[in-house]
Amino acid sequence: MPGGESNQILVQLEGVVIGYSQDTPLAEISSLNVRCGEIIAIAGLSGIGKTTLIKTIAGLVQPLAGRISVCGAEIPKRPDRGNLGYIPQRLGLVRHASVFHNVLIGSRATYGGFLGVLASKDAKEMARKSIEKMGLTEKIWEPVRRLSGGQQRRVATARTLAQSPRVILADEFLSELDHETMSNVSETVVNYARSADAAVILIEHDMKRASNIADKIMVMDEGTLKILNPESMMMEVQK
Amino acid sequence: MTEKIRVHPGFYFLMLFFSAVFVMNHAVDDWGRAANGLDNLKTFFYQSLWPPDWSVFKPRAYPQCEAPEWLEVTCSTAWIGMTETLQIAFVSTVFGMTFSLPLALLAARNISPLAVSTFARLLLASLRSLPSLIWAIFFVILIGMGPVSGIFAMTVYTVGYLGKLQYEAIEGMNNTPLEAADAAGLSGVDKALNIVIPESANDLISQAIFMFEYNVRHGTVIGIVGAGGIGYYIDLYLGFLVYDRVLAYLILIFATVLVIDAASVYIRSFFNDERSQKRPTWLGVFLPGQ
Ligand SMILES: Nc1ncnc2c1ncn2[C@@H]1O[C@H](COP(=O)(O)OP(=O)(O)OP(=O)(O)O)[C@@H](O)[C@H]1O
Ligand SMILES: [Mg+2]
Repeated sequence: MPGGESNQILVQLEGVVIGYSQDTPLAEISSLNVRCGEIIAIAGLSGIGKTTLIKTIAGLVQPLAGRISVCGAEIPKRPDRGNLGYIPQRLGLVRHASVFHNVLIGSRATYGGFLGVLASKDAKEMARKSIEKMGLTEKIWEPVRRLSGGQQRRVATARTLAQSPRVILADEFLSELDHETMSNVSETVVNYARSADAAVILIEHDMKRASNIADKIMVMDEGTLKILNPESMMMEVQK
Repeated sequence: MTEKIRVHPGFYFLMLFFSAVFVMNHAVDDWGRAANGLDNLKTFFYQSLWPPDWSVFKPRAYPQCEAPEWLEVTCSTAWIGMTETLQIAFVSTVFGMTFSLPLALLAARNISPLAVSTFARLLLASLRSLPSLIWAIFFVILIGMGPVSGIFAMTVYTVGYLGKLQYEAIEGMNNTPLEAADAAGLSGVDKALNIVIPESANDLISQAIFMFEYNVRHGTVIGIVGAGGIGYYIDLYLGFLVYDRVLAYLILIFATVLVIDAASVYIRSFFNDERSQKRPTWLGVFLPGQ
């Protein structure tokens, strides 16, 4: 896994139209390639369709047209178990279960266990490590509903990292974090992407943050996805 | 565009109410009989029902009571009947839940494919379509009189009824955890055991307790057809026209149901996390309008 040909395309979109009905498509993405170790950020106004795009790539929403492939599997085929990590905007944690239980759901996808009841040793080990990376070791047995908003966001990030995914789709995973925690979390994810050669697509409203993390910033606007060139990127950041 | 005329929602209720009055007028041919009913009730109450015959709490003549004197009540028909009803309710709630949960997971549209869920729903609906009393008659014919028939009957009904409550709770759960799991490619079993059950555990527990309470109430009836429990004695004395004894049993059932109702409200309050801030007091659960 890590190491692969570093120019390999992990996420590929061609002529993709996203939306929930043919009459009102949200956007058309004529071409988008994300390669190993590459991090791209997507910005855009609220309600423009960023979450919809991420969900479409994750295989949760049907594209209205076009072809999408993730890790070499073309939708509706799915990438191999555990290869795709998705951090939803609303996190999707099991609120009544502990931090450990939630993160174990992620590592179980890749490292397995028995019938969904028992997790393998590797899965438990991996879950512990990711919880530590997100600075939540003290809260490991706490039910998620008793954590703060930012802590919950880190649990969702830990769950995805515990999968050792090849592709990470992160929907505003840095919001609700103070500056220091934010840079810790984003650094961890960037380091993971670089060392494991994983592709990351993240949604980020804050241009400054986006330019700190991502190799490429794209803006969703007027029904399409445009690359923000470096000059206008600077202007946006200064605004 | 013409402006829409908005009708007060209360108007629809009025229409519903008057249609019920209309239908009732057709069903009742002779209002005079209903009026006589009150007089009949008075005579019946004072001549045959009141006062209740508490001898049902005395030990039975046969077999001889071997319990020490202060536990003599355990040899009474009231005690024997009521505990049997409680036992039937307990066993069939636990057995019923054991079968209903897997079926409910298969029936829930958010985790099972449409074909599977349709089949599971059909199965649950058919188990639920007959009341437990009819199931009891069925099992009494099939395997004979006694509590075992009662347990079978109540279990079957519990599976159908509890299964429906359960899959509705499961479908009502937040969808995002399942989306994250789907993206990661987790299997249905993984999702059911690690996401669905822990996320809806409070609802599932609270429904099981409600089901036990329900089974106690309905378990008093199935004895009438010979499927065990206190209903057997009620039927027996109804047959002998000994209504004051029947009344004593009814009062016992009423008191038991009241206690279990209250315990159920109290226990369930621990499993409703958002609402648990205001846990009812022990006295409060008995008083209406708390
Ligand atoms: N399940 C759905 N069915 C139909 N329409 C939907 C659904 N989910 C979202 N939409 C609509 O699609 C549009 C895009 O929503 P989306 O969540 O993708 O926006 P977004 O760019 O992520 O916004 P935000 O920055 O506020 O999260 C919105 O107009 C929304 O109302
Ligand atoms: Mg969004």
